Amino acid sequence: MLIKVSSVSNSGLKSIGIDVEVNVANRGLPAFEIVGLPSKAVDESKQRVRTAIVNSNIEFPARRITVNLAPADVPKEGSFYDLPIAVGILTSVIGCKLPEESLFFGELSLDGTLRHTKGALLLSLFAREKGIRNIFVPRASANEAAIVKGVNVYPIENVSQLLSYFMGEIELKPAEYQEGKDDWISTQAEFDMAEILGQEQAKRAIEISASGGHNLLMIGSPGSGKTMLARALPGILPTLREEESLEVTKIYSVSGYFPPEGSLIKTRPFRAPHHTISQVGLIGGGPRPQPGEVSLAHRGVLFLDEFSEFPRSVLEALRQPMEDGYLTISRSRERANFPARFILIASANPCPCGYLYHSKRQCLCTQREIEKYRKRVSGPILDRIDLHVEVPVVDIKELAKDRRFKDRLESSAQIYRRVMKAREIQKNRFIDEKIHTNAEMKNRHIKKYCNFSKEVKQLLQQAGVSFQLSARSYYKMIKVSRTIADLEASQDITVSHMAEALQYRPRIQERVM
Amino acid sequence: MTEILKYKSTRNIVKSNSLEYPWLLKEIDHPPGKLYYKGSWNSEIFEKCLAVVGSRRMTNYGKCITNKLVSEIAGAGITIVSGFMYGVDATAHKAALEAGGRTIAVMPCGIEVIHPEYQETLYKEILENNGLIISEFEGTFPPALWTYPRRNRIIAGLSLATMVIEAGEKSGSLITAGFARKYKRELFAVPGPLTSTLSKGTLQLIKEGASMVTSAKDVLATYGITNHKFSECPLQFSKLSKLEQTIIKKLQQEPMEIDTLSRLLEISASEIGSALSLMQLKSLLFEEDGKYYVN
Repeated sequence: MLIKVSSVSNSGLKSIGIDVEVNVANRGLPAFEIVGLPSKAVDESKQRVRTAIVNSNIEFPARRITVNLAPADVPKEGSFYDLPIAVGILTSVIGCKLPEESLFFGELSLDGTLRHTKGALLLSLFAREKGIRNIFVPRASANEAAIVKGVNVYPIENVSQLLSYFMGEIELKPAEYQEGKDDWISTQAEFDMAEILGQEQAKRAIEISASGGHNLLMIGSPGSGKTMLARALPGILPTLREEESLEVTKIYSVSGYFPPEGSLIKTRPFRAPHHTISQVGLIGGGPRPQPGEVSLAHRGVLFLDEFSEFPRSVLEALRQPMEDGYLTISRSRERANFPARFILIASANPCPCGYLYHSKRQCLCTQREIEKYRKRVSGPILDRIDLHVEVPVVDIKELAKDRRFKDRLESSAQIYRRVMKAREIQKNRFIDEKIHTNAEMKNRHIKKYCNFSKEVKQLLQQAGVSFQLSARSYYKMIKVSRTIADLEASQDITVSHMAEALQYRPRIQERVM
Repeated sequence: MTEILKYKSTRNIVKSNSLEYPWLLKEIDHPPGKLYYKGSWNSEIFEKCLAVVGSRRMTNYGKCITNKLVSEIAGAGITIVSGFMYGVDATAHKAALEAGGRTIAVMPCGIEVIHPEYQETLYKEILENNGLIISEFEGTFPPALWTYPRRNRIIAGLSLATMVIEAGEKSGSLITAGFARKYKRELFAVPGPLTSTLSKGTLQLIKEGASMVTSAKDVLATYGITNHKFSECPLQFSKLSKLEQTIIKKLQQEPMEIDTLSRLLEISASEIGSALSLMQLKSLLFEEDGKYYVN
């Protein structure tokens, strides 16, 4: 008897429908085979399905079972075909009817229970798109799937429960979406801005970065507080907008980082990969393309500490995502698009020994070593970083004594309020555009949304000559000044906004003698 | 390569018996028998020479003071002689060129070798601005440990006076200073902060009797230039905004980073940053390695 069970195959962030055809033959020697380009995980499904059925006190048919995953030329990956295969075998043996318009998805445990399986959100999105009413998923993944409205998500505990439902012995209720905590996504800000003494300019740069989504490079000696500053950033990042939340949750759903019973992600992710990361780890890839760190940092922050220690080839690969906000991973069999719109926060030492410009220690590097060190990060990458700031070493003991100074320190909560206001202004500004932040503006947006007077233009031109700004830097300054103006809720960019933006220009060309 | 060949002249040796050989150099103990050169030889360039030497590992202070002193001295028509090394040497050559003055680079290797090679731009600029590249070594002779002191004797020998800016306890600059003293030339040393290891050499020189430089006038007097007018416009203090005045007053005491200024004046980094950019564009200030200095 032939049974067709519907499921999906996820490739990147896209899903296609898969028919799981299960044939339990009355003739032939007992066997269990899966065809239709199964991967190792899919093939091993045989053992899990057989054992799970047996352990649920159901007799496993001693007949020739053939499973075909159609279309047969698409490679199948993952453990979630367990449930559709088991459902196919059970219904054909028992002879009950499958519910109509249903998708099945989930990994089986040997005792017959269903395990949390990655990609449940994609399944329910696919169901909504195709107008399929019911989906059956593991209980632990049900909340994730229930984020999508208009689809009945049936949480399944184990095989026997599902079978009772098919036989009409019990009723199943669709899962109701429950909001939960998403604190697993980003370690909550480890520091409050008020805990960081000194670094007034760097703190301001971080505020601008969070407000306008600008990339930031911090250059400073070891111990100057670069990492601390970056770690304080999550505390002032604006919460995700609704559509952004879904984008981020989708990526985490397929990446396998999504926890059981997790809910919609509302906090911006903060990713800090180590500098020994491979290109595939950062960008994504693999024979079946998987999202990398840049996509996991989508709509959030990618923090690259010791920026110049990253292999050049790895950094160069950042160019496309930094420019376009997404990237395409092409492999011989598959290609996948992953969104990757992140704020890059990079930190680096000024020279190999780290003590150039240090007030107390002497730098031991030669001019040549310094130049060589600087060249490790290519111009095109630096060109895509809007804010450049130097982080000097602070005498913390001295500052900690100063009560008056300490009273003036701003907390993350205060800065957060300003950031949210600036984001609100940007949201209204770009309501008809596809972009969300000032940093994403292309030249045509700049022409449309950045008004400034003749004096500001003159200032910018004068700065262009004096500070040797490149054409790209010129536009970066306008974007940054737009954000500074937004922080003051100013319609026009004034001379003082532009003058402040100039503080964050790249100084490397000026420095190399 | 073609770029270098452009400056190759057919007759680029001056022998010690030639009339064109710099007379000051003839006076030293073992003057080089012949000088190889690049650029257009003009005896007049050797008339008023000042040797400017100092550490390769120059500090911010060294860089600022070299720029300031050399541009004023070279602007008054003195030829700056130095050794083309990175650090004070290269800064001195550059400052001289920027002030529209002339400069001579004495190489520790053959004149066809640009050493250090990443200073090729400076090499070309010296030649394009009526400067000279000279050496007692032929063609592509490589630099070696022993060629540096020999080069230093030429630097001191060509110049009426030698000015040392930043030198460690045992440094090549002190060797040059030693030659200057031996040849009975004027020796100047620029004082530096006591806390810096790069002041040890220069302060020692001052102790031993070298003249201390506190302004370009000290050096120019040696060349008989006393009434040179520096093209510096006096700061019109009253025309500045209140914040600008306060900033200038603070920075005149000590160069500072933006963060320190913000803390001292209790004004946000954003407001200070904005003011500093504008002041820098008005040439009231300049910035060096994160610190702001009054121009």
